[in-house]
Amino acid sequence: MYDIGMTVFNGLAWAMATFLVAAGLTLIFGILHILNFAHGGFFMIGAYVSYSIMLGFGGGLPLWLYLVRAMAAGVVVGLLGWVVDKLVFRRLRDVEDAYSLIATYALLLICGGAVTLIWGLNYMGVMPPPALNSVIFLGDMFMPTYTIFIIFCGVAAFVGLELFISKTRTGRLIRVVAADPWMAQLLGLNVKRIYLVTVIVSFAMAGAAGGLLMPNQSLSPELGGIFLLQAFGVVILGGMGSIRGAFVAAIVLGLIESFGTYFFPQYPGIFFLLALGVILLLRPEGIMGKEQTA
Amino acid sequence: MAYKMNRRGVVAGLAATGLTAPFLNTRMAAAQSGPITLGVVTPLSGPVQLIGNFVRHGAEIGADYINSNGGVNGREIQLQFRDSKANPNDASVAARELIGAGTNLQLGTISSAVALAMGPLLQSEGGVVITSGAGTEKLNHENYNPHVFRVGDSPVSRNAGLVRHIVQSRPDIRKWGGIIPDHEYGRTTWKIFEATMRKAVPEMTGEEAVIAEPILVPYGSGDYRNYIQQAMRLDVDGIYTSVYGGDAVTLYQQAKPFGLFDKIDILLDSANEFLVATAMGDQTPAHWSGFHWYYEANKGNPLSDDLYASYVERTGDQYPMGWAAEAHAAIMAYAKAIEKTGGSTETADVIDALKGLSFDSATGMRHLRAEDNQAVKNAELAYIEPSSEAESGFEVTDYVSLDGENVVEPARPGEMLDLSAL
Repeated sequence: MYDIGMTVFNGLAWAMATFLVAAGLTLIFGILHILNFAHGGFFMIGAYVSYSIMLGFGGGLPLWLYLVRAMAAGVVVGLLGWVVDKLVFRRLRDVEDAYSLIATYALLLICGGAVTLIWGLNYMGVMPPPALNSVIFLGDMFMPTYTIFIIFCGVAAFVGLELFISKTRTGRLIRVVAADPWMAQLLGLNVKRIYLVTVIVSFAMAGAAGGLLMPNQSLSPELGGIFLLQAFGVVILGGMGSIRGAFVAAIVLGLIESFGTYFFPQYPGIFFLLALGVILLLRPEGIMGKEQTA
Repeated sequence: MAYKMNRRGVVAGLAATGLTAPFLNTRMAAAQSGPITLGVVTPLSGPVQLIGNFVRHGAEIGADYINSNGGVNGREIQLQFRDSKANPNDASVAARELIGAGTNLQLGTISSAVALAMGPLLQSEGGVVITSGAGTEKLNHENYNPHVFRVGDSPVSRNAGLVRHIVQSRPDIRKWGGIIPDHEYGRTTWKIFEATMRKAVPEMTGEEAVIAEPILVPYGSGDYRNYIQQAMRLDVDGIYTSVYGGDAVTLYQQAKPFGLFDKIDILLDSANEFLVATAMGDQTPAHWSGFHWYYEANKGNPLSDDLYASYVERTGDQYPMGWAAEAHAAIMAYAKAIEKTGGSTETADVIDALKGLSFDSATGMRHLRAEDNQAVKNAELAYIEPSSEAESGFEVTDYVSLDGENVVEPARPGEMLDLSAL
């Protein structure tokens, strides 16, 4: 029982960390139909910006400052999103997908180069804030509070994004543009501005995810690629552009990865890929399909 | 189509030989008297650039040292750098291009895949390479190639050294587990660890070692919690790991809140040197790490002192890592070998000279075995602990340098590593 509980717990941690990165990725695909390879790079920049803010405050931070720092990283990366939209994404809207892939891959390389230039090559490791650096025991289960926090953040990001998309005026406009940008333009909506808002929100989510997940893994210029494959897997399996689908896919893949590792420890790290392949063979349109995008 | 020799052809050939001979002589004379150019093919970009930078500094400091002490028979050493990207294809292109430009003596390989690719290439192109940290045991076993030399540790000497020292200093620790990266090198290090431990514990304590199945972890993962959970279930007193670089930092970061390091008495890290400690500072778990070169263990050795001082002066970094010393040692080996050849830098002469060569280095005297081109050098290890007093957040509280003769495996080029011989 203890092992099953811990396996579920670890699977959820994997799922929510991945969803935090994938949320912005699926949003941008749902609206702009751009597969943003550079998303991992901006997640990485968010983590490094958060690290620099932490050093500016002299190291370890209370929980509220840790959250503020992550949000500040989100703002910085959101502003970068504004620049990227002006310089790159606007030029990609009417071109073939292959150009988008090449352009965003080039952006990923630029992110890696910028991180190397600004922060250097050394590995960095940051521990969670003191308030999240303990363990909660539930029977025989020991659950690090930081891991619980990641799970909470993933759920909060999902709920927040769902509310934003379905309950706010901006969110509803985004859905309209996602469904039919041509008709939205005819109706007098400022489609360009809605695209811009989407990119900024998506980038800000990547930056904030970087700040929140900074104590989860080492910082290095390789960080941009570490979550990218998982995040793309979740976006694809969820049904391209579906936030709800990405959330469900993250949980499904996280649990399969976790239980796969538990039952077959001699084959580490393959269950995510295996599950992705099998599920897509059975349901190529993904869990939520196309019609429910964003 | 058979080639027919006629009088006109012979005359043309003789004329051509006569015209080019003076230039050939000039080139040969230059090869004996001008600067000696060594090619450094190492990662200068990409994920392994961090390690390539150590190699670059070590090679430059080594060349500066030789040049400021009169060069090699009065000839200066010059270095030509090329980016291998830690990729066999890029490294092959760079190595071939250097040989085409006349730079047949090379160093700087740190990736095992690149080192294995270099042998056949350099054999066919007429070059030689001294690796600066490549860890695969195949280099001096089944993939042995006379054109490839390793001046650093073999994986056997590194891991056998760690095991023997730990068993000697902590004979009470007999129950071991392992967290191993799921790739060929990771599995090899574990096999060596297990074989040596199973032999050393009974020899030194009279009791059997109890060794659990290793926990395999994927390369480049952002989440190790499931593997940490497996480790928490183990009934062991010590854990050995060869998880490396950023993966090791992530693993340690995630394991700490689970209390994994409080549960065990010893953490044995095969190769991270200061990579984990400089990343984690005062959150570093106390651990023994293997080193290519630890400067405190070599204090008083002029080569080590110069390497350390020069490195700190160049970079401001107080914690140079061993790859710098391996590139430095490669320069020392070439310098000594070219002295031995009487100044010839021809590949065949240098290979002959390197085989069986004894030369001084930052870790003391090293000997390149003629049979398998593997260096016999000291195995070094240090105990790193978190510290509230040290500015870096950690300090080395113990270290040892073990005689290489006692930890290196017998030379068996062309044969697979025989674990029963350890």
